[in-house]
Amino acid sequence: MVRSAKALAERRRSPRRLALLLWLAALVAMQAQQPAPFDSAQGRQPDWRAAEDEIMRHYQAVLRLDTTNPPGNEHLAVEYLKQVFDAENIPSQVFALDPNRSNIVARLKGNGKKRPLLIMGHTDDVTVDASKWKFPPFSATRDGGYVYARGTIDDKDNLTAGLMTMVMLKRMQVPLDRDVIFLAESGEEGNSNFGIQFMVAQHFDQIDAEYCFAEGGGVTRIGGEARFATVQATEKIPRGIELTARGISGHGSIPLKSNAIVHLAAAVARVGEWRPEVRFNETTGTYFRGLAAISPPDVAAHYRDVLSSDPKVRAAADDWLAEHEPQHASMLRTSVSPNIFTGGYRSNVIPSEAKATLDVRMLPDEDPARFLEQVKRVINDPAVDAHFPSQNTRPPAPAARQDSEPFKAIEAANTRIYNVPTLPTMSTFATDMAQLRAKGMQCYGIGPAVDLEDGPKGFGMHSDQERLLEAELYRFVRFNYEVVVDLSRAR
Amino acid sequence: MSVISWSARLSAERRRFPKRLALLSKGVIAAILIAPLFAQTPSQPDWKALEPEMMQQFQAVLRFDTRNPPGNEHLVADYLKGVFDKAGIPAQIFALDANRSNVVARLKGNGKKKPILILGHSDVVTVDEAKWKFPPFSATRDGGWVYARGTVDDKDNLTGGLMTMLLLKRYNVPLDRDVIFMSEAGEEGSSNFGMQFMVNQHYPEIESEYCLAEGGGAIRIGGVAKYTTVETLEKIPRGIELVAHGISGHGSIPLKSNAIVHLAGAVARVGEWRPEIRFNETTGTYFRGLAQIAAPENAKYYRDVLSTDPKLRAAADQWLFENEPLHSSMLRTSVSPNIFAGGYRSNVIPSEAKATLDVRALPDEDPVKFLEQVKKVVNDPAVDVHFTSQNIRPASAFDARLDSEPYKVLEAAAKRVYDTITLPTMSTGATDMAPLRARGVQCFGIGAAIDMEDGPKGFGMHSDQERLLETELYRFVRYNYEVVVDLARAK
Repeated sequence: MVRSAKALAERRRSPRRLALLLWLAALVAMQAQQPAPFDSAQGRQPDWRAAEDEIMRHYQAVLRLDTTNPPGNEHLAVEYLKQVFDAENIPSQVFALDPNRSNIVARLKGNGKKRPLLIMGHTDDVTVDASKWKFPPFSATRDGGYVYARGTIDDKDNLTAGLMTMVMLKRMQVPLDRDVIFLAESGEEGNSNFGIQFMVAQHFDQIDAEYCFAEGGGVTRIGGEARFATVQATEKIPRGIELTARGISGHGSIPLKSNAIVHLAAAVARVGEWRPEVRFNETTGTYFRGLAAISPPDVAAHYRDVLSSDPKVRAAADDWLAEHEPQHASMLRTSVSPNIFTGGYRSNVIPSEAKATLDVRMLPDEDPARFLEQVKRVINDPAVDAHFPSQNTRPPAPAARQDSEPFKAIEAANTRIYNVPTLPTMSTFATDMAQLRAKGMQCYGIGPAVDLEDGPKGFGMHSDQERLLEAELYRFVRFNYEVVVDLSRAR
Repeated sequence: MSVISWSARLSAERRRFPKRLALLSKGVIAAILIAPLFAQTPSQPDWKALEPEMMQQFQAVLRFDTRNPPGNEHLVADYLKGVFDKAGIPAQIFALDANRSNVVARLKGNGKKKPILILGHSDVVTVDEAKWKFPPFSATRDGGWVYARGTVDDKDNLTGGLMTMLLLKRYNVPLDRDVIFMSEAGEEGSSNFGMQFMVNQHYPEIESEYCLAEGGGAIRIGGVAKYTTVETLEKIPRGIELVAHGISGHGSIPLKSNAIVHLAGAVARVGEWRPEIRFNETTGTYFRGLAQIAAPENAKYYRDVLSTDPKLRAAADQWLFENEPLHSSMLRTSVSPNIFAGGYRSNVIPSEAKATLDVRALPDEDPVKFLEQVKKVVNDPAVDVHFTSQNIRPASAFDARLDSEPYKVLEAAAKRVYDTITLPTMSTGATDMAPLRARGVQCFGIGAAIDMEDGPKGFGMHSDQERLLETELYRFVRYNYEVVVDLARAK
């Protein structure tokens, strides 16, 4: 995922007089002991500056709950959210296939003129290797303007923004033309049977909506500057491939030609160096052309070149992207990342088996069986078997439309808040939108601004230093709120 | 322990053993048992009649789960102590850890000569139970074989030593020197509980002129014993660890720095690398001897590998690697990548991956220089290469001499029992003889006959189908007994 922030510039741009007016308005509201009704004509804004402490408090609170999946324990986050909703008098309900892996749905009723809007955030995190973290992964430590924790950008940012949007809509008493539904779902990281699958299969009426927002997009900062926003309109389909090498076991003092670890290492090295063919679809084509149009000339050249029909030009651009912008390289193709390798149990025993797991992210139009054959050809070793393990797969679905009301609302908010153009994008990772899109919902992936450089530098999603700029958290909450208000307020 | 193949020729053996003689010797043994005075002129035990007892002892020790870790060698030590007590042989238990005890039994001689020590280690390497056809501690007899972890490493020597003690006692063989038997713990990687402990804390209990332990044996090729090896020298085990560091991140975005891909490349290169060939006196004698007795088509390779023509040598080396990996390991410091571990979740690129190389250094290898060579082969700054801190056995100060009394006795016994010549050999595996040799004890590695083909077929030491021919167990007990009698009986 790619996002970005430029908080300081933002603050400088906001005129002091307006801030003062807003502050006065807030003061008046407080003196009235209850929030003044939302004035759609005036479009009164919450005092975002004043809300920062509350935003940070909720963000840190959910980050500090250890919801690593497995085992998940998402009920910790659900209990926290339930208590917040109860305190704000927002009706909410808990749904669970397993009591430790619950989901929560909150709903603000509208006048029913339009069909509902669903905002999602998943409560589970990927696991951590705690010894690798500078700041403990569930400490939510604030350092140098950043918050460090597992989940800061996957996905407790969206969770916090959704929560704050609900709280603000209620507090500002925004009149709504449609219900706004918030879903905090469990099991997004590999066990959606507890989360979105369960909700779609058992309680779809609770979350049925015209539009949905979830993770998958955001604003990209390059060199500290917000450059463009992305809205995830389609996504790759994750398929694991497992490699198993079999050889003869024996004593380590006598090297054997059939050594399973050596065969598997060679296979993994070949697959790891292989880059499958580049192929564009409508979303990625639009994305790279859009990117070329807004980027500085030296970088734009690579985006244009990778679209070229000249294989040499294309390959050079591809190399540059793999080196400098790996997530763009992944968008060009079905990607392969060998992420697990296990073999051997004792230093002086040659094991008879070794296994590796490839994380494969298929282009929406990829033919899995044909792709597996390609992998086998790259490995080219009869001692190494390649196969798909049986795992949850997400359904393929058509891309969300770019001419829709939500896409336009997002585009407008990006211009207003980040002053950047919006590009439709294909996320390289799967999201829980897949199941909803398969149901015909128009779903869009959004998120806060992050630095393009953070991924390669090891600060990205799922990394050992996952982080988000505090200022970008605040800005994202505002963005989220304004988009929802734009789509839902009574007119 | 070390691997060396062996052989058995059961049917031939049986044919050579006339029934009349069997009956006769049974009668003789009965006479000896009744009138122990006959032991003054020790006649041969009735080996045929002893087979059930040998098998019973072999299966008894095989059925104790002494995999190390955790070891639990006390199971075997307690069992042996019981057997010695019943036989009236003084035995004592020595333990640094009560669960990891050693047993020393001693038959007193007249003191004319210094003692001889027979060693067998009671621990076995770990097992991957799922891979075993017969449960690894079942000691199942099938098709003339006994299958179990430890059948050729080292419960064969343990049984050989035990039976030798029992028979020496039973026949009241008068001795010029004490015969000491030691069942030691922790040979497989934790000799601090076994040999190190005994040498440091109880050396007077095992101090001797000569010692016999694992590391040699008759080699069968095509089912026929071709030669017998006596280990007079051993390689020095050194672990090398490879650690790759990269940037962690989400598996949907492949990164060039992927630690698993870098490590896989390094392991593939090291696994394919074969360090330079170098001979010493033992291995030179061994290969020249082998060339003289081998079938012409094989003899060619043993001669060629000694050649100064690099092309001839390389071709022979390649043939040995594919067909006789034990011999290939004897030519060089060997490297076998046996453990590879990296990654904890299929969609997370880990920031680290580790591999362990099992290195068996030639006795004259310079470790620091060798490590540099490994680094050059790895040739990747993302992969760190260093020695593991593990128990390192001392390089032996004295090779066992080829003109010594035990070597000649072993030669004669091999001629008599296996009808083969004897070749001195360097074991590719380390043994507990190393610290004894360092103290000046002349140590010789012996063992049961095994098939040269068993290792590559997956029946070797440390494999998932470790096995020994029943008839070769019996033959080895006889060889063991006759060698000890020859070296120790009063003359």
